[in-house]
Amino acid sequence: MSYYFAIIGTQDNPLFEYEFGTAKQGGDGVARFPEQARHMNQFIVHSSLDIVEEAQWAQGQMYFKCIDRFYNNYVSCFMTGGNVKFLLLHAPSQPAIANTSRASTSIAANPTSPQTEEAIKQFFTEVYENWVKTIMSPFYHVNMEVKSPVFRSRVAAAGKKYL
Amino acid sequence: MASSQPVKPPLAGQPAQAQRGSQAGLKYPSSGKTIYNRPLNRSRTQELSQASFAYLFGEMVSYAQKRVTGIQDLEKRLNVQGHPIGLKLLDLLLYREPTRSQTRPLNIIALLQFITTALWRHLFSRPADALEKSSNPETPDEYMISDNEPLVNQYISVPKEMNQLNCAAFVAGIVEGVCDGAGFPARVTAHSVGKGEEGELWPGKTVFLVKFQPEVVEREAYLGKS
Amino acid sequence: MSAAKAARQGEEIWKTKIDKVNAELVTLTYGTIVAQLCKDYESDYVEVNKQLDKMGYNIGLRLIEDYLAKSGTMRRCANFKETAEMIAKVGFKIFLNISPTISNWTTDSKQFSLIFDENPLADFVELPDDGRAQEELWFSNIFCGVLRGALEMVQMQVEAHFTSDVLRGQESTEMRVTLIRYIDDEMPVDDE
Repeated sequence: MSYYFAIIGTQDNPLFEYEFGTAKQGGDGVARFPEQARHMNQFIVHSSLDIVEEAQWAQGQMYFKCIDRFYNNYVSCFMTGGNVKFLLLHAPSQPAIANTSRASTSIAANPTSPQTEEAIKQFFTEVYENWVKTIMSPFYHVNMEVKSPVFRSRVAAAGKKYL
Repeated sequence: MASSQPVKPPLAGQPAQAQRGSQAGLKYPSSGKTIYNRPLNRSRTQELSQASFAYLFGEMVSYAQKRVTGIQDLEKRLNVQGHPIGLKLLDLLLYREPTRSQTRPLNIIALLQFITTALWRHLFSRPADALEKSSNPETPDEYMISDNEPLVNQYISVPKEMNQLNCAAFVAGIVEGVCDGAGFPARVTAHSVGKGEEGELWPGKTVFLVKFQPEVVEREAYLGKS
Repeated sequence: MSAAKAARQGEEIWKTKIDKVNAELVTLTYGTIVAQLCKDYESDYVEVNKQLDKMGYNIGLRLIEDYLAKSGTMRRCANFKETAEMIAKVGFKIFLNISPTISNWTTDSKQFSLIFDENPLADFVELPDDGRAQEELWFSNIFCGVLRGALEMVQMQVEAHFTSDVLRGQESTEMRVTLIRYIDDEMPVDDE
């Protein structure tokens, strides 16, 4: 399972991005996007913003679960109070088989299972905590890129812990 | 970590991404004392003296006074200084809500209730005194939040030539920041309604006029129908 | 007055005589002041330090009366060591609910350091990552001005400056305070 995580500002501008692979089930935490897919990640995530914009006034929950799918790429979303979007693109190593009779609970195998949804929620929640710490600084202005290596390591740790 | 971080082309015409591991970067103490190590709720219930707030606020006002040409300009400046605080508090306070009620406000009423309760309690340890919708059919985009005794006006002795000044413009800026951040762009202004007469119950009473932009009202009407 | 007694007095005043507000309101207000100064002076941090010191000085001039009233102090401190104790354990305590540690006295008892383990002004703060702020900006510089202004009102000319700050990536936050002289009542006081 490979992940591409992006934080998108209120002007649809990217503020942070991070690519990683699963650390579960013996995963080494390294993303394995095929080279051509890697270039697509940003565009897939960006194109799901329209859906996010529609959904944002329909529900007040911050966690939107999986909101978009592009072939084997699933996009989950979390929206902060300040309308900043956390988008997580998750691409299972093997395409998920719809209506499989042998339902697997592994996050890697089933991108829309409740277990996966919950794991992603926990990931987002932990990132949110660190996000709020970032924006509380008087020197953080809206839509500023986040360059802090500490923030990056916090996101990495959350990914490792839950995904 | 670095191995999984190729530098990618920027998104759709956006300015270049932050180069990772930029050689300079911030330094951190070895104790690991950074903003990320400090629990967000640590100062949630902590208190400082009201005097320390009054002194800082007073200096903010007199500094601003030197750089403006009139009262309106000064109030605008105080508003601008409050605005980022609103943006920050919006998420800090939502973060602190119990999971069940941790929801983004979806309509004007939910937003204003968040402001008059959660925000006011946080800043002033009590809810606002009243929330009303404009009864004027010409201005359905206007709402009024009343505070009988704004904290920011209690300690500030305004110079005579500035007696029109309402320092609650700073609070108005905070409120405006919350509105803008939550996706309800608005203009918020503070107005003294107390007449300053002797024997008056609330001589410092202030009304915060929240005027939403047309798109907010339109969206509200549209969402209400569906 | 002994250090322990000063600490007890500070605690007592804080508990009984002080009107309080949410700490985060103060923190955020100070943050927006410094951020605005950085903007107005286009990140000329040396100038921002000066402005913060000036604001502090103005505050100090007024704050001393409040301090004397709250602490019920009628007499002058016997010496500069006692002054230091009162600053750390009563002054900082009753305004900011912290008590910085006093250390590094010089042998002539005219210079000491205040070590801030806690600093409510700097909560939530990360300095701008512009390669300069951590070299040049003293975020809490307003404290220096407050001490200078307040002590001047009680006939002490002091110089105060920060020598380190955890916000700069240093191991501690330390301010150095030096007694220049006791001011004779009839001598006019020079501001700068």
